[in-house]
Formats: sequence, structure tokens, C-alpha cells
Amino acid sequence: MDLTPLFEQYPFLREAATAFVVIFVDICALVILLAAGRERRRGDRGWAQESRGYMLACEGTLYPLGAAEILIGRHPAADIRFSDTEVSRFHALLCLSGGKWQIEDIGAQNGVLVNGRRIAKPCTLHQNDAIQIGKHRMTVVKGSGKGVIE
Amino acid sequence: MTQTKIKPVSHPFLLLLVLIAHSAMMLLVALSFGVTPEVVKLACIVLTSDFVGSIILQFVQREACTVDTVLLLVLGMSTIYQSCFGGLEFATKHFAFGVGAFLMCQASYVVTRNPYRAERLKPLWYVLFFVLIAAIRFLTGSRGLWIDLGFITIQPSEFVKPVFVLICASSIRTQLKKSSLLGIHFVPDNLLVILCTGVIAVLQWWCRDLGSLPTFLAVAGFAFLLRFCYLREKISVRLMVFLILCVCAAAVFAWKMAPAYVQERLHSDIWADMSGTGYQQVKALTAIAEGGWFGKGAGNGSLVHVAASRTDIVFSTICEEWGLFTAMMTVILVLFLPASILTVPPRSYYHSGLAVGVAAVFMVQMTLNIFGSCNLIPFTGVTIPFISQGGSSMLASGILAGFLKAAQAPVLTDRSAVKGGK
Amino acid sequence: MAKKQQKTRTNAPQLDISAPASMRRAGKWTALLLSCFLAALVYLGYTLISEAPLYMAKSGKTTYGTVCDRNGDVLFDGSQPLTNYAPGQFADVGNLIGDTSGQMSNTVVAKHLPELANYSFTYGNEAGSASLTTTLSHAANRAVYYAFGEKNGAAIAYNWKTGEILVCVSRPCVDIAQGYANLENMAPGSLLCKAFFPTVPGSTQKVSTLLAAYESAGVQAVNALEYTCEGKWTNAGGDTINCHQIYGHGTQNLLQGFENSCNPYFAQLVQSGIVPLSSIIGTYTRMGYSVNGQKANPLNLDGITISPASTRLSDPQNFETQWGALGQGKTLVSPYQLMLWQGAIANGTGSAVQPYLVSKKTSPTGETVDIAFHGSTPQMFTPAAAQGVKEIETQNAADHYYVSFDGYNCGCKSGTAQVNDNGREYENSLLAGFCLDDRAPVAFCILIEERNSWDVSTAQIAKVLLDNVSGICNE
Repeated sequence: MDLTPLFEQYPFLREAATAFVVIFVDICALVILLAAGRERRRGDRGWAQESRGYMLACEGTLYPLGAAEILIGRHPAADIRFSDTEVSRFHALLCLSGGKWQIEDIGAQNGVLVNGRRIAKPCTLHQNDAIQIGKHRMTVVKGSGKGVIE
Repeated sequence: MTQTKIKPVSHPFLLLLVLIAHSAMMLLVALSFGVTPEVVKLACIVLTSDFVGSIILQFVQREACTVDTVLLLVLGMSTIYQSCFGGLEFATKHFAFGVGAFLMCQASYVVTRNPYRAERLKPLWYVLFFVLIAAIRFLTGSRGLWIDLGFITIQPSEFVKPVFVLICASSIRTQLKKSSLLGIHFVPDNLLVILCTGVIAVLQWWCRDLGSLPTFLAVAGFAFLLRFCYLREKISVRLMVFLILCVCAAAVFAWKMAPAYVQERLHSDIWADMSGTGYQQVKALTAIAEGGWFGKGAGNGSLVHVAASRTDIVFSTICEEWGLFTAMMTVILVLFLPASILTVPPRSYYHSGLAVGVAAVFMVQMTLNIFGSCNLIPFTGVTIPFISQGGSSMLASGILAGFLKAAQAPVLTDRSAVKGGK
Repeated sequence: MAKKQQKTRTNAPQLDISAPASMRRAGKWTALLLSCFLAALVYLGYTLISEAPLYMAKSGKTTYGTVCDRNGDVLFDGSQPLTNYAPGQFADVGNLIGDTSGQMSNTVVAKHLPELANYSFTYGNEAGSASLTTTLSHAANRAVYYAFGEKNGAAIAYNWKTGEILVCVSRPCVDIAQGYANLENMAPGSLLCKAFFPTVPGSTQKVSTLLAAYESAGVQAVNALEYTCEGKWTNAGGDTINCHQIYGHGTQNLLQGFENSCNPYFAQLVQSGIVPLSSIIGTYTRMGYSVNGQKANPLNLDGITISPASTRLSDPQNFETQWGALGQGKTLVSPYQLMLWQGAIANGTGSAVQPYLVSKKTSPTGETVDIAFHGSTPQMFTPAAAQGVKEIETQNAADHYYVSFDGYNCGCKSGTAQVNDNGREYENSLLAGFCLDDRAPVAFCILIEERNSWDVSTAQIAKVLLDNVSGICNE
């Protein structure tokens, strides 16, 4: 099957074939990208599993724990941010490791209190634990939704 | 404890898409060459490797399909391109390194999928970094960047890239660890990154090859940008102006202090010296013009006789045979890899640092290669990840893709520990 | 499913595991990088597609097209050896139209190389032939070129109603058909078009000074001013300004001073303070002069750049300033710009129709683009000043050039420029003017270098020019 003479006779045939193939390949790539959108939901569920579905409830606000390290403090880059001066700029770090959430005091002036006691070293959190940062009281709650380990 | 099952994105479906895309391209090759044994061989190898690749994926990790599928697609396309340049001949070496890159991707994923562990291993990365630097300094012949092992040549500077990305990424915890010396407070991690950047700059200067310096500077630059985001109250206008001025001053200084051969490249008019210094670029640009939108057809190019047609000016070679449209689409396809973190955001500071580092490496490399060969910026000898021929760069790019996969599907739980806990 | 869960765990909040802002930051930087890269890629694609013909032509894989005059006469042909044409075919246009040799960079061909290459990114090499059609009249151009005789210089003329450049010559001129083998022996200036290079304007500068005077003091007031010329005049600083009429012109009004081109008259006008120096500078700046080193916008004629006029004006009492306002010393103006001002005077509005040289572009695929109208220049001076100068110039032509411009209703101002070319001193003769007739509505400027009294005069060349362009303007 030698198509070279045909192409030489009708040069646009080759271009049409190329255009068709290229567009086809691109459609495949696009579909793969769309599949990535689905992967996002799957990634979220995977994360829910990793993070055990924990969230922080504080004065009527629910803070999601959507990353392995969550900074609590007065700093604008902090994911859980309190603006009053009793909270240090970098106050505490929530950290997910080995399936457990731990809270750590990272040089806070007023300290971090878990269930009323000031912590000196990283402390593992459980459901319904009370955390106090400055005057803010937070409770560890478990959200319900898809992918949560029951 | 029960566990709700996560429905995986159907792998066979994505595999099918990759197979269809590759088959379509092979059809085009067959239209050019006819159905010869060589074409059949190429088709068989590419399609089979797609199969085998996806089976391997089932065993390693079933998440992060985007990175893996795009990687399979790009590697197959690149094998087809490289096999067709100037006539059909299966690019065995290129294919072998493609397979290597795929395996490297999985390996580096396994190493870096736990961000805590990857960061804990930082001393190891520093050791690796200095081992590679020492290798470049002492093992490469005549200030080149290549180690000749007889049967194969290794370019250690390519492997410095992923190691450097690992060094530059940092978690917020590391940033909060401050040391103090003579009353000056500093973050040891940042100091080490600056030191490593300096070492690379000095080494590149010594090698008289400043081609990949922009890549390293971009990685370090973005690493520090992320750090500023972590630790600054906000990026004030004054700080921004100061940073921009610093970059400008550095650029002017580099411009003035650049060695003679760089100056020559910055000022040369390629059309004035078409058979001398401008030869490659003139040929490359003419080839793009000749290729037009849809190319001359696979195997019909003439650029293959020009030096570096498969590496430094590979964009033009693809343009000539497959057309500008295809070449642009291929480039965009490679960009899908770093773009994957836009769909699934990373979940830890270290991984986000890795992802931005990889994006910087990929994009700066492609910018230097494509825009350099098209005479918009000075021409340097860097490669397009996964598309250019070259074993070291291929494997290094594979490692980088593994970082992206790690950012997509992090594993924070040590699985064996959980099992033991049960 | 949600219902079921609510039954079992009524007080459990809905789970939210979205990634926090700190994690999305990495995505933001990546998106920024990506969009920069994509934007650059689009730019690259655009550059490659638009310059592809150039790449092909420069590497010898395709030819260049042709440049024609308004009637289809070939001015440059890149598709075949230029020696195929009759000798002298390109002798008058070489340094304006240029060629693809790369020896000249400020020519029509050099500025339109990608458009002239016979290649199309989409249709490839088999596409037809690219061409440019210019507004020049080759016949008129050639006639003017040979009217110079042995003299060197430049002449440029354009239709002040439509903007078409009809004639543009510069002598000496390279003959592109002969090649550049004898580059060393070529007369200096062969490779550039003098119509676009600033030169000492001589008394033609008095037009600019008069425009400034009219603008600031009003036409009536300036026309009534009388000054005495005694052959020479000593200014406030003690410097002497000579008149070409060594016995003096006596007491004159403005019209007489203008017609006599009397230096002491205009020097006294500048020193008097009736026209403040600041308003002279203001008018000059609007006209496009670079005054005292201030940056002026370069002019552009279809890609060809023209250096702007320049002068130094510091103090109305000062010799250098007065000398500059008389068009000598440090004042430099290109013939193109002198012509442009005459165009703005001729139409009486103070804003000239923008001249253009390329009227039609034909792509290799045969698509033609007509470029008929390019708009007008910014307002350079007031309509009242333009009208005033138009009357004075018309009167000047009627009184002194009646014989030369026989049958044409013209206005003009002559000038003699004292040039000091690296110690070698000589005089150039200039004439800037316009014709108001419907058959030849042109503004022109003619420059003859090192003219002696027995040589051909600028007015004679102007007559040749008018004779040759009359009739073609309304085609």
C-alpha cells in the first residue's frame, strides 16, 4: 500500500489526514484532562480518608483541615487566622502524620492549651478535644461525608 | 472499621485513549511510508509499551492518572517522532530511555510521596547534590558536562536538576527553625539553598556553559517566592520593587560580565552569518517555514542532517515533518504535566514546593529550547523534557514527573504501620 | 445516602476537605508561569507565520516579488536578475526603493522584506508573486533626476490633497542593477536618500519663523512690522548679521523682507520681543523640531524613518538663536519635512495630509490590500498662520518666479544654506513650495548641493517636476 503517488497528485490529502490525526490526538489529550477533573473528586475523597474527616469548630465557624500542615496564628499566610494580639503570628501547627492529627506549639507567647493543659511537646488530637489558642476555643469534630472512615 | 470504597478512574478507558492517539499517529506514518515491516515494528513496540506501562501502574499506585497517562502519551509520541526523522528507523535508544523515564517516575514517586519522609531525607539530597557537583568538576573531560563511560555518556548536570528541586522545596516547619550566629538570625535551610545556587553558578561559569543556569535560577527564585509567601506579613510594594530591582541589577551585571562567547550570541545576527554561527538557527527557521501548518509528512524532513536536530532544535524538526500545529500541540501536551496540580492541589508545603520547582524546570527548559532555536532569545543547548533525545535529560525529566505525581497523590500514612496497628 | 447518614449521625457537620489557601498558592504560581509561557507561544506562532516568507527568501528557497510605480513600471524585481532590465531602469530610484542585498536598510524594499517574499506559510511556494505598488511616477521621477544635470541633491514632491508621494529622487544614486562590486568607488551618499536626511535649510527656515510670528502676534500685526536693513546689522550681543544684499534693502515691511529674504529683517523680528522666544519654541516643537536637544518623534513614511528637524534657540538677543531662526548654523531640516510643512500651508489648515509611498500590497496568494488614506498629521500651526504664509508665499512666487512657474499658480520660498562640511565650505540651494492648480496640487522641496550661479536652478527643476506631475494627480 504505497500512497506516495496519490499524495503527490493531491497534496491537500496529506494535509487533511495530518489535520485529522492531530485534532484527534488533541481530543484524546483533552479527554484525559477531563478525566483529571474526576480525579480531583477522587483525590478529595482520598484526602478525607487520610485526614479521618477531622475539622475544627470554633465559635460557630468550621475550619476544614485540607492540608497536612495547617498553620494557626495572626499571620496572613496562616490558614486558621485570628487577628487579635493574644495570638502569636506563628502560634501553632496542626500536622497530619501516620493517620493522626497532632498539634504543636511553635513558639507561641501564650501557649496552646489542649483540654485545659498547656502542651510542651506535640500532642495527638482526638475527637471532641478542646483546644484553646488565646481566647479562642476550638473543638475537634468529625465531619460526615463520602470517604470518611467510620 | 469499614472503609468506603473509592471508585478509581477507569484505567482501561484512559489506556484506550492513549492507544487511539498513538494508532492515529501510526496511521499517518503508514500513509507516508506504506505498511513496511519497520512501520509495523514501531507500531507494535509503541502500542505494546502502552499496555505494559498501564499494567505496571496497576501495581504501583492507582492514583494520579493524569500524570501517568500524559507521560505515556508523550513518551509514545516522542518515540514516533524520533523514529521518523528523515526516514524510518526505530529509535531504540530513545525508546529505552523513555521506558527508563517511566520507571524513574514511579521510583521517584515512591520515594517522595510522603512529604515528611522526603524532607527528612534532605541531608541525603545535599550529599547527592555535592556528589554530582564533584562528578561534574572532576570526572567530566575538558570542562564539558559529559562523563564518558565508553558505551554510554552521562550528563550529571541533568540529574542535578531534580536534586536541586528536592533541596529547594521546604515545609513551613523548616522555615520556622531559626539559628543565630553573631546576633544575626537566619534560617539554615534558606542559607543552604543560596549556597547551592552559588555553587551551581560558579560551576557553570567554570564549565563555560551557562545554558542551564536560567533553569536553576528559576527553581531557586520560585522557591524563595514561595518562602516569602509563607513568612512575610504580605509582599509589600517596597519589597516587590526591591526584588525587581535586584533581578534587574543581576541581569545587567550578568549581561556586562558575560563571557565573550555569550556576548557574541547575544548580539549576533544569524542572517548575517548563515553558514557560521547562525547555521543551525537559519536551518531551523527555514525548516519551520517549509513545514507550514501540517508539515511535509513524517520522514520527509531534511533538517535531520543538521547537528542537534534531535535535541536542541527538535521543535523545528517536528515542525518540518509534522507541522507547526502538531509541534505546538505537543508542547502544550508536555505542559499538561505541571498543569496537573491545578486540578488536584497539593496537600503539603513540601509537595507544593516540589510542584512549583518542576513547573519552573519544565517551562524554563522549553522556553530556552523553543524560543532559542527560533531566534527570539539567545540560543542555548538545553532540551525539551521527554521530546528531545538524550538519556540523562530523559531520566531526569522522569524523576521530575514523579514529584508531580507525589504532589497529586500524597501518602501520609505509613501503610505498614497502620496494618500493624490493626 | 445523605438522609441515611443524617439519621445515624444527626449532629455531625458536613465534611469539608477543600485545600486551604496556602496550598492553592503553588497552583497560582504555576498558573502564572503557564499563562506566561502560553502567551509567549502565541507570540512565537505569530512571529513564525508572519516571518516565514522572509526565512525562505533569505535562505534562497524562494524569490522576492516586485515593486512597481503607479503605472505598473517596475522599480525593483526580486524574481529575476536586475540586469534583464534596460540599463538605467533603476538609476533614479535605487536609494529610495532599494534592494534585497542588505546594503541599504532604510528603503522601501528593506522595510517590506517579509511582505515581498514569494512564500506563504499556508500555501507554500507555489503561491503567485508578491508585489508592492507605490505612488511614485517613474516617468516624472526620472525626468526630475536627469533635470539635475551633473549636480547632486534631492527633490521630493507629494500630492497635498491625497498624500501620494509622486517624486522622490536623491543624487548621486546607486544603480542597483550594477551591483556593489565598486562600492569603494561609489560617490559618497549614493546609498542613502537625502530627502529623508536633515540638512541646513537656509532661508526656507524663515517660513517656520514666520509661522511662529503669525501664531503669537497675529497676521495683521506682523505684516505691518517695518525694519531697516543696511546690508548688515549688529545685534544686542554685538555680533553682526550680514545681508546677501551688501548695500542693504532699506526700510521694508514683512512682505518685502520675505521676498528679499532679508536676514537683518528677520533677525530684528526675533530680537524685538514681539514674538517671544517661548512661542517660537512652541510652534517649532509642534512642527516636529527637536529644540535644544529635546526629543522629537521621528517621522515615518511606510516604515522608512526620517530624522526629525532640530535647532538651538536659547536667547532672542543671542547670535546663535537668531542665526538658527534664519536657517543657518545648528538648524537642520530634511527636505521631506520642508515639503510636509508646505503641504500644511497649501491646504490652509496647519495640518498636512500624511504622505505615503506604498498604495497597494499584493500577497503571494494574490490578495491585495489597498492603502489609500493615511490620515493627517497633528495640528502643526494654526489655520490663520497657514493662510497668512500661503498668501505671502503666493505673492513671492508671483513677484519673483513668474517666468519660472509660467502658467502654474504657485507659492514658494527659496533658501541658500551655508554648509560647513568638515571644514569644506559651500552653499546649497533650496526651494520649498506648493502648487495650487488642480492639475498639479503638489507640495515640493528641491535641494541642489554646491550650486553655482551658472548651474541649473531649483526653480527650473521645480518647473520640470510640475510639468511631469501635472495631469497624473487626478488619475
